[in-house]
Parts: sequence; structure tokens; C-alpha cells
Amino acid sequence: MLNVYLFQVLNGLGLGMIYFLISVGLTLIFGLLNFVNFAHGAFFLVGSYLCYTLVSLTGNFWLALVAGPLLVALLAWALERSLIQRIYHLPHTFQILVTLGIALIIQELSIMIWGPVGKSIPTPEALQGVVRIGNFAYPYYRLFLIGFSALVAVVLWLLLERTRFGALVRAGSESTEMVSLLGSNIFRLFSVTFALGVGLAGLAGVLSAPLRGAHPFIGPEVLGLAFVVVVIGGMGSFSGALVAGLIVGVVQSLMTSLWPQGASLMIYAAMAVVILLRPHGLFGRA
Amino acid sequence: MTVRKTPLLLSALALGLVAQPLLAQDQEPLTFYGVKSLSGAFASYGKYAEMGSRLAVEEARTSLGRDIDYVSLDTEGNAGRAIRKVQEAINQDGARLFNGATLSSTALAVGKEVAGVEGVFMTPAGADELTGTECNASTFRWSVPTYGAIRETLVPLMEALPEAKRFYTITPEYVFGEALLDNAKAVFEEAGVEHVGNSYHSLQEQEFSGYLTNAMAASPDVLVLLNFGAQSSNALRQARNFGLNDQMDILMVWSAGLDQFEELGAANVEGIYFGAQYWHEVDTPFNNELVAAVRDAYDITPTYPLAADYTMTRVMLEVADQSGASTGPALIEALEGYTYQGPTGEETIRASDHQVIKDYYLLQGKAQDEMDDDDDYADVISAGQSFVAPEDSPCQL
Amino acid sequence: MMTKTLEPTSTAARPSRFKGRLGAGTTLAMLAVMVLLPVVLPSATLATEILIFAMAALACNLLLGFTGLLSFGQAIFFGAGAYISALAMIHLNAGLVGALLIAVVVGAVLALGVGMLCIRRKGIYFVMLTLALTQMAYFLAYTLSDWTGGDNGLLDVPRPPLAVGDTTLISFDSPLAFYALVAVLFAVIYVVARRITDSPFGSTLLAIRENEQRASALGYDTRLFKVMVFVLSGGITALAGALYGMLLNFVPLSNIELLMSEQILIMTIIGGTGSLFGSLLGAGAIVLLGDLLSSIWPRWMLLLGVALIAVVIFMRGGLWGGLSSLLERRSKRTDGKEGDQ
Repeated sequence: MLNVYLFQVLNGLGLGMIYFLISVGLTLIFGLLNFVNFAHGAFFLVGSYLCYTLVSLTGNFWLALVAGPLLVALLAWALERSLIQRIYHLPHTFQILVTLGIALIIQELSIMIWGPVGKSIPTPEALQGVVRIGNFAYPYYRLFLIGFSALVAVVLWLLLERTRFGALVRAGSESTEMVSLLGSNIFRLFSVTFALGVGLAGLAGVLSAPLRGAHPFIGPEVLGLAFVVVVIGGMGSFSGALVAGLIVGVVQSLMTSLWPQGASLMIYAAMAVVILLRPHGLFGRA
Repeated sequence: MTVRKTPLLLSALALGLVAQPLLAQDQEPLTFYGVKSLSGAFASYGKYAEMGSRLAVEEARTSLGRDIDYVSLDTEGNAGRAIRKVQEAINQDGARLFNGATLSSTALAVGKEVAGVEGVFMTPAGADELTGTECNASTFRWSVPTYGAIRETLVPLMEALPEAKRFYTITPEYVFGEALLDNAKAVFEEAGVEHVGNSYHSLQEQEFSGYLTNAMAASPDVLVLLNFGAQSSNALRQARNFGLNDQMDILMVWSAGLDQFEELGAANVEGIYFGAQYWHEVDTPFNNELVAAVRDAYDITPTYPLAADYTMTRVMLEVADQSGASTGPALIEALEGYTYQGPTGEETIRASDHQVIKDYYLLQGKAQDEMDDDDDYADVISAGQSFVAPEDSPCQL
Repeated sequence: MMTKTLEPTSTAARPSRFKGRLGAGTTLAMLAVMVLLPVVLPSATLATEILIFAMAALACNLLLGFTGLLSFGQAIFFGAGAYISALAMIHLNAGLVGALLIAVVVGAVLALGVGMLCIRRKGIYFVMLTLALTQMAYFLAYTLSDWTGGDNGLLDVPRPPLAVGDTTLISFDSPLAFYALVAVLFAVIYVVARRITDSPFGSTLLAIRENEQRASALGYDTRLFKVMVFVLSGGITALAGALYGMLLNFVPLSNIELLMSEQILIMTIIGGTGSLFGSLLGAGAIVLLGDLLSSIWPRWMLLLGVALIAVVIFMRGGLWGGLSSLLERRSKRTDGKEGDQ
């Protein structure tokens, strides 16, 4: 018989991939733009609700998987052009305020559009059912999520490490002047990165929808979790988000067997300890 | 301790004795305050509760033939705001009649404020303390406490599933969850079934895969969910996702009823057992009237918050009108022991602790193709009343 | 490096002569407002809530507006002050003065600890650290439900009279009497805070806000100054929390939530960072907005979001900034930095 702790570790790895997806956009935007996005959880929310609407309209989850994140990215692009661009140069305080404002507006608009009661999104038909391992079962959909998140991670890594866009983003993270000197349009680079990062939050929202449904007040919880992962991994670090996501996932899953009441306390305590001892996270640049 | 079962048919046959309008004119207008979470995080509840109270007030204006002012106080989803507004209404406007409050914390604190001026407050909130350790002369509670919710779901479920011997519980770690768990343990012991394990989770948890893994490891016959609201919805969704419903039966003891089923969708509801305070398909004269009136007024089917706040508002206004006591101790006295035809059949306000004695339901979700209409999510498996006997209650008024 | 110093806000950077005149004016205005509040508003209870949150916002302003520290930790002190004073009254039979003093001391001590930890980091790391500590405080309060009442909240919090021995001097049972108590305490704190911010200590804080490295190069122990502001702010916030518990006769768990920190911050910023009078404006505006709009339009919080954005884009000085530029009759905005490049 499979040991419950071993299974919790496996489950935690699966959870960790979802956490990675939730946080990677936040860390990307922080890395290049030095911008703190407190609306990250709200964009996740929009992703979940768009998934609900698209699936109800078309019955096709795969369409929602493509269109949902794109629509969120489009919204982000429009916001960046009209508003966010004006506040890049401001201190983080003001960025936090503006994005808090955006999060509040999105939350209330969501209630106006979709109502105060949450929504459920069915698991796509092809992915219903479970794999049985001894006493335990693991849903196909969660397996798909792990695979898909891994694919997203690989594609993102290739994008950042192997393309001109990635090189610019990395250069921009070091010094925005340098990118400008290279003759690239830094503002377009910013817009695209912002849209990409927020689109990833939307993607996480779409993918989480069959697990958690869509609910107007999930934003702050998702944001909190994303901050924990990003801080532990190192703000702005791509590989940090991946490793920290996995660590948080495994710890959280194991804690449910060991000391469930302390799970949240532990996670935030870990975040505080990391900031105090290794402010740039496990993988951040010093 | 009393465990009394009312056959559904009997309550269905009970005739509704709706109070006759008094011919009294020139009476003082009644002013009635609804504590509702209209904005903020509990808007999903407050929106329907407000509809219920408004409808009841509207009807009472005609049926009682007198002026009734209704004022709603928005809690903004914040207990502090709620209390301040209640204080303000008490001090500024001499308010004495209140109902509502979704959150247990808000309800407990509002009850204290209203008791301070010997007013009347009736609430559907969940905390046992309301008619238990923190009870007071002014607070009345419509919803069945955890004791009855557990008895009226687990006991009939065990009757329906005689071969089920192993039970696993998932519990939110705070007073309300503990109360449900303690009651459940007592039932397990009485019935001689095995409680094979429990997982506690924190109040903000939304990810249940770890807890479901623990449950799988214990291989129970029945998984009992003791959480509520968004948490129970997520726990159930994820349990289905893990295919637990194929391996065991699942019971959600404290469901919100229709609005939660709408949120979950028929595919998630099918085959699952739910405990509920109210169900719109229950055939009582009061309920049939209510369903018709709500369809007429709002073009929806009444949900639990709507029905609860409608009933409480109507009962309070009727008793106030009948007894001629619009405030204070006289109204409290008139409410004590008052029996009326409510949505669940005959309901009685117990004098010893101000708990309304009413049915709690065990429902089972239907398959989508068996639903007669969009809201026909579940069948009633059993209905009945279980309450801690007055002499065993921590509340002695 | 990502640490940036906070920009000066419109009011605080003005020439001191004008500031002096305006300062005396605002103290008078403050007194006038405090007398008028319970008369103009529908109830003294509402006015009391405004002053309590104004007190919390003022304390937050000392950190944010005068020292440039954006902290999500204020709920720790607000919640702790409420819990401690309530517990002291319930279990130790503490009187009014005792309960308030205990709250202030505990708030200050907690702030000393939180401050000493948090000021080790700057910028966004500082913000994240305060955020993590608030979450921990919340889970702690929730876990210690035997003391705090957990999710049900702490009930039966008394509102004791001012008494000497067994002789009651002033009872605060009536809303107006309690308002008077809160108003007097607020006035004292306002005047003291004003003195402090106008003192050399205050100028040092501003110097830290403008450029910490320079301040430190001038020989100031900037860490010590930051911790001192934390202690001051924590004590005042805890006092506000204690008064809030007495007002409601109840301490909800939400007092110590991250959302409470957020609410206090929003009041501070909409009122105007760097202006003590602005904190009163901000608290008043937010509490009144909720009171007026919530029953008319349940989605009113959307407007809060819009207001936050508007303050940053158009009116960096908040309500106070807007008001004082009107008073100055200067059409020219002191702050013209925003806009596309």
C-alpha cells in the first residue's frame, strides 16, 4: 500500500505546478518592470470567470483555454497603455495603490456581471476520471495541469533564454537604459511583458476554474499565495518561482497530514524568515 | 433530550393558519430594521435576505393594514460596521425591532446590543452560542443548531445506508466546526459505527486535495463535510474531481441549499447528500404561498436566505401586530412559545432559549435528466426535528 | 537596486512660513470640525467611528507620510490594542485609564518588535515583511480562540466610566459622552503629533523620507528614528483599536485582518499623505462614503478603487492636497510630474 506521506508529496508537486503558474506572471513583471502588481489575483479572477462564460457559451474548454488568457492579456495591454505606463516611474507605494484600486474595481465589476454567487466550471470531458494507484486516486485533470504547466514553464524558459525578446527582457531587468541604448522601444517591451505576465495570471485562472470554480472574492487569497511563492523564490526570478512553487505545494500538502491548522501560519512565517535571512529569495539576484 | 421525527406528509397536511389582518387603524407605524450584508464579501447572502425581508414587509402592509417602515442596515461584510449602524439606529431612531445578520460574529454582537435596550432580534446565523452559552432575552434564532443538523442528516443517512460503517470527517478548525464534529462523534458512538478519521483545515483554506488524500487513505464508506459556503463547494468539487463519489457516499451537513446547488451545478450535486435548513419544494401551505409570491415578485425560486429572512420578518410583524406590542419585553413575551405555520410546517419559538423548533432536511442530489425544472436539484430524503432538551441546554432564560 | 525614496507630496514640501500659518489654521479647523461633527452627522456614534479611524490613519501617516514607510502591519497594533484592552477589562477588571494605557504600552512594545524586524529591509521587501507579519498575527488570533473568541469575536467588552476608586466621575454610556472622550484623546494626539512633526525629530524623519542615505551620511541613526516612529505609530494605533472595542462592546476578528491594514492605508492616502489634518479628511470621507452609498448602491466599493487611482494620477496630495491648493488659490499644481514621457 502506498504510504500517505509519499502520496502527499506527489500531490504537493502537482499543487506546486499550479502555484508556479499563479506566481510566474507576477515575478516576470516585477523582474523587468520593477512593478508591484497587487491586481494579480484580480486578473486570475477574470480568467476564471471568462473560462466560465466561454465554456457556458461554447461548451468547449479548449477554446476557453486559448481565448481566456488572450482576452486577459488584451485587457492588461489596454490598461498598461492607458494607465500603468504613467506610474512605472513612481515609487512602489503608488504602484500598490493604483493596482489595489484596479483589483477593487475588477472585483466589484465581476459581481455586477456574474453575480455575487460563485460559478462552477465542469472538467473537460476528455479529462474526467482518475488514475488509481493502490488506495489512492489522482484526477486526469490534475495530471494534465502538471503536464501543461511544465510545458508553459519550458516555453517561457525558451522565450526568456533563447529569443531576442527574452534577451531584451533580461537586459531590461538589469538596466532599462541599456535596452534603450540598444535602440529597442522600451515602452513596447514593457507593454508586451506586462500583458504576458497578466495573461499568465489569466491562464492560471482558466486552468484552476474546474478545480475551484469562479468566485468574486478569490483575488486576495490568490495574490497572497503568489506573493509567498515569489518572495521565497526571489522577486523577479523565473526559476525561483518554479522551485518555490513546488516547495510551497509540497509543504502545504504534507502539512495537511501533519499539522493542518498551522499550514497558513507556516507559509507566512517562511516568507518572513526568507525576507529576513535571504532578502532576494532562494534564487534571486543579490 | 428529544429526538422527534415528523413525517413529511404530516407537516404537509398541516393547515396554514395565517394571521388574519386586524381591523385596527390609526396605530403607531411599526419600524423594522434589517441587518443585511448588501455590499462586501457576503453579498451573495445579503442580496436574497434583503429580498425576503422586503417582500414580507410589503405583504404585511396590506395584510395587517398598517404603516410599516423598513430600514436596511448594510453590514458592508464587516462586523464592526454592522454593530455601529445598529447602535446608531437604537440611539438615534429608537429602533427596537431587528432581524438578519449572516455572520455568526455579527449576529452575536447585534444580539448583545439589542438586548441592552430590551429590543427584539431574530437571526438565521449559524453559531450555537446564539441560543446556547451567549443567549439572551432579546435574541431569537430561526435556523436549526449544529445538534439538529447533525442528527437529522447522519441518522437518516445511516438508515438509508445500513452497510455504511466507516465515516471520515473534514472539519473547519473553529467553534462552529468543532460543534458539528462533537455532535457527529456522539452520533457515531451511539450508532456503533467507526469514525475512521478527521482532517481539520483552517478558515481560509480553498485547496482540499491534501485533506481528500487523507480521507482516501482511511478508505471510509461515507465522507462527511462539516464546512460550509465556498469551502464546502470547493471541497465537494475537488472530491468529485478525485473520484471520491465513486468510492464512497458524500454528505455535506450544512449546505446553503438552492443557491449553493446553482453554484455547484447539477453535475456536482448529483448523488450527493446535503443537509438543509430550507427547501423550496417542501409542500406546506406557507411554503407554497412563499414560492408563488417570490416567483411573482422577483421571478426566482426562494433560496434559504430569502426564505429565512422572509419568515422571520413576517413572524415578527405578525406577532407585533397581534399582541399590540411593538417593542420590548411585551413582544418578547408574545414571541415566546408562539407557534405558527412556517415554510417547514409547524414551527414553534421555544421559550426557554428562544430557539425556533423546526425541521431540518436531508436532501439527495438528482441527475440532470431527472430534474423536473431548473431548480429541481434534489429530493427530500427525510425531514425532522432534533433539539437539545431545554433542561440540557446551556441557555436558561 | 529597486529601492526608491518616496516623492515629496505637495503639502509637506511647501515653504515653512506658509506651512506655519496653515498649521495653526488646521489646528483651529480641527477643533471646529470636532465640535461640529456630532452636530452635522446623523449620529455621535458615526462621528466616533470617524475619529477612531482618523486616529489610526494619523498614526499610519506618521509612518507613510512623514517617514516614507508603507506598512501593511497597522492591523497588528489595531487588533492587539482592541484585544488587550478588552481582556484587561474583562479578566483583570481594569478601568478606563488602565485599559487604554495597557493598550498603548502593548501596541508600542509590539511595534518595537515589528519595527526592529521590518526596518532591516527596504522598499518592497519591507512591504512584504509587514504583510507576512500581519497574516501571522491574524492566524495567531484565530488560533488563540479561547482568548480572542476566534471567528465569533470577543463579546461583552465593557465601556467603563472614568472613575477614582469606586466613585464614577464621568460615565461614557451615552454616545455623545463617549464621542467627547474620543475627541479629547484625538485632539491631544493631534497636537502632540503636530509638535513632533514640527520638531527637529520630524525634520529628520522627512529627511529620511526624502533620501535615507543622505540622512544617514549626515550622521543620523536612521534605523533608530524609524523604530521610534514605529513605536509612536503602534501606540496610537493600539489606542484607536482599544477605543473601537469600547465603542462596539465587541472585538471582531476582522480588526486584525490584512483588510484592516488596507483600509487604514486607503484612508491615509485618500486624505493626503504627509498631512495630519488629511488623515481626518480621509477617515471621514471613507466612513461616510460607505455609510451613504452602501444601502443605495451595494457595489459602491468600486468607487473606492476609482478614488485610489485618481489620487495617484491627479491628486497626489489626496483630499488635503486638493483642499490646500484651493486655499492657496494657486492655479499652478506643485506636482506636475505625472504624464506620458
